[in-house]
Amino acid sequence: MNKTDLIIEKVLKEPVTDHVVLSCSRAEAHSIRFSNNSVNRENLHKVEEEVKAEVGYEGRTGVYKTNDLSEDGIKHAVKKAYEAAKLLPKDPEYMPPVTREEAGAAKNFSPAFGEVSDERKYGILQAAFSEIKKAGLNSAGILSTNPYTVRVCNNKGVRASHSNCYSSFWLTAMTGNSSFKDFHITRDFSDYDEKTFVADIIAKTRLSKDPAPLDPGKYTVVLSPAAVEELLMKFLWYNIDAKAIDEGRSALSKRQGEKIAHESVHIYSRPDHEKVSLFPFSPADAMPYIDFDMIKDGKLASAWYSRFYAAKKGVRATGRGPGSVIFKGTDKPLDKLIANVENGLYVNSFWYVQLVDLMDGVFTGMTRDGLFRIKNGKLAGSANNFRFNQSVFDLLKNTAEIGREKNMTYTSIPPITVRDFNFVSKTEF
Amino acid sequence: MNDLSEITNYLKGKKVRFADARENLFHEREILTEDTRVEHIDEQHVLGTGIKVLYENGWGYASTSAKDLDSLRKAADKALALAKHADKSASGKVELASEPKHVAKFVTKIKEDPLGVDIGDAVGVLIQAGETILKGKDVIKARGYLVLRNIKKKYANTEGSLIETNIYTVMPEIMAIARANGEVKSRHYRPSPMNAGYEYFRGLDLQPEAGRIAAQAREHCFAKACETGPATLILDPEHLSLTMHESVGHPTELDRVLGYEESCAGRSFATMDKLHKFKYGSEIVNLIADNTLEGGLASCGYDDEGVECQKWHIVKDGVLCGYGVNRELAHKMNLARANGTTKAANYFDVPITRIPNLYLAPGKKPLSFGELIADTENGIYIEGQGSFSIDQMRLNMQFGGDAFWEIKNGKLAGMLKNVTYNATSYEFWRACDAIADERFFKRSGTIICGKGDPMQLAQMTHGASPARFRNIMVRRSK
Repeated sequence: MNKTDLIIEKVLKEPVTDHVVLSCSRAEAHSIRFSNNSVNRENLHKVEEEVKAEVGYEGRTGVYKTNDLSEDGIKHAVKKAYEAAKLLPKDPEYMPPVTREEAGAAKNFSPAFGEVSDERKYGILQAAFSEIKKAGLNSAGILSTNPYTVRVCNNKGVRASHSNCYSSFWLTAMTGNSSFKDFHITRDFSDYDEKTFVADIIAKTRLSKDPAPLDPGKYTVVLSPAAVEELLMKFLWYNIDAKAIDEGRSALSKRQGEKIAHESVHIYSRPDHEKVSLFPFSPADAMPYIDFDMIKDGKLASAWYSRFYAAKKGVRATGRGPGSVIFKGTDKPLDKLIANVENGLYVNSFWYVQLVDLMDGVFTGMTRDGLFRIKNGKLAGSANNFRFNQSVFDLLKNTAEIGREKNMTYTSIPPITVRDFNFVSKTEF
Repeated sequence: MNDLSEITNYLKGKKVRFADARENLFHEREILTEDTRVEHIDEQHVLGTGIKVLYENGWGYASTSAKDLDSLRKAADKALALAKHADKSASGKVELASEPKHVAKFVTKIKEDPLGVDIGDAVGVLIQAGETILKGKDVIKARGYLVLRNIKKKYANTEGSLIETNIYTVMPEIMAIARANGEVKSRHYRPSPMNAGYEYFRGLDLQPEAGRIAAQAREHCFAKACETGPATLILDPEHLSLTMHESVGHPTELDRVLGYEESCAGRSFATMDKLHKFKYGSEIVNLIADNTLEGGLASCGYDDEGVECQKWHIVKDGVLCGYGVNRELAHKMNLARANGTTKAANYFDVPITRIPNLYLAPGKKPLSFGELIADTENGIYIEGQGSFSIDQMRLNMQFGGDAFWEIKNGKLAGMLKNVTYNATSYEFWRACDAIADERFFKRSGTIICGKGDPMQLAQMTHGASPARFRNIMVRRSK
């Protein structure tokens, strides 16, 4: 036990009420941001440590967070949370702390990762800058490592802890009039293939040069995993909360039991998916994340249930956001999906995706960092970026082909081919 | 302050070209109500010190929440080590614009500390508003939101500046959601967020506004769908604050213009070759940056590079004439001085160029809002903020709104629904042909402007009088 853990145990021995939860987190980040082929001023190292005190008082809950981890600091946080709770009205959705039985169902996992030295990190960047410069291109991006630990303790005996790390290298390369971006998500860069990663970006960036001015309209598109993630996660966030659905505030309210996606679309959560899951339990209260299907056989399978709403409805709580989101893929590589499109577009990423119409699931956004024309199953140069106004229901229904999953932070998602994707206007580049 | 000076002196001894140390306290209380219950309260008190180092031509930044001198020295050593690594890839000489040495204090003028007030007071006001909203016909949800914030900073640099700032912020909002006629529509009331004391919140009368937004949320459900095609738009100050934020504020951050934000927030069409030449808007468009504005969300006396806050034009008589500039990039514009708009959200964040308080100057000729409507034969009047999206060069933009009314023969003629408009930034501002006068000027703004990687949030005020824009492409959203 470290010093903070000992203080937490001491505080929980004499809880101020019968509801005290202390969540402690430590996140260490080294982020190296770069632009114009050199490291810029956002070259930072930080350690964020925090204790969140949650205190319940006769059906009310107060919360106070502090990064003063001394005994006085943690006791002060508990006192402030208690004082706040006493001033609040009784909450009809009050929930007591998670019990040991509830927390015991968590599927914890211990991902292996090593420390990445500063020399290794800056070395990866220097090598990339060198290749990018040799190719006559410019670059920007970020390389970061983020090891973290969360620990949730309460006066009901719950002691949940998880350590993990996510690291990533995002690299955008640019010609004078175009750009292409890709990323490598990892725990510790032990799986990073320097030559392939940078060489592929250089090749695609060259292909993106001199984009052709196409007209907006409906196109068959192959969406990269990152593009699918952008749209899908926004859609889920706005629409898949069970209480909102029941109260008629979700696009899914009037579509329960209806077909909302192609039969091949299967979206689910696996909290012990070691490649993508960040936590096996909620870092707020230690409630375990669970396996569940969200969209299966073309229909809504299960919404997201908070602890309160799950208890009210007599179902298992999923949390207000699952442990991970997985869109089931196939064994088809991206190239195969592109090869099956005679005339269309490949979208490498979206940008500034925003809700336009909640009840019809319509979102807008722009293509960015790689919009390529597909001719006879091959990438054939790039196109100027488009704005889309697209219903996610139409996108899921018009999904014609699904490729191989790519692991990202918190999600595993494949590229997909979609018919009649709705581009409504273009931009100047 | 002594410890911060000790650290900058320590770094001076390590032959750095520049260093600063900033102690940063972020204390915030956030209250979210749902109907007549508290959905969520969150209070955080985060204190620490960030140290920035320029060694040769490389920057490094490290931070610590510890207060003792040993920990500060360790953070300083880490920042220096990172700067030395960065220097190896430096592509040119870093030149810092000069800034006078400041020994100064700045405090938001307040009567009542927002975080010194019992949480029950604000909760009571928000729940009372929720009760009123829920009395509205067909209303299915009420929400209240309040952020009370205090940011205290102490700053020291190797040039001898010693600055203390103490900023208080209040941001209230209420919302109604109605379901009727097969539609679900929301309506907000967002008084301008302000750097102010709790007396600002006490002075708001939310009750009549709660009743109004409940009724308008329902009315919106029965509104006529708009037609697709070019239209005349009249936009209210709250709506315009978002438009100018996205299409003027961000594209005129010089770090974006020069590629420093390329990988995340993007770049800008408003490149430096356009300075003093490019027609950004019509001749009546004057967009003014002012970090000295009393009560402005970005008004803090001195920024996180130790630069005094200032006032300048971004667009003058329709022409691009300024940027938000930090000390590192001022020389690119041949400026002797940065303009005091470089900020960090928290102690562990690196200060970056942020949008200043930015407003559209009121029209110079007398013109009331009523006269503006009466002078418009057909069009759409938009209030508040809705969907918003713009490309990474800040050109192709699409906005919705919170509520829409048809203008017919110079009069407001019932609500419309499903309105979005789409334009290129400069075409939009060039289409501005009338701005109401200063009597109709209102402030708005945001406390959640995201930028940087890792992402950090900043706050800034915007403002405008209602203004008219001709021939803008309106598209029915469904």
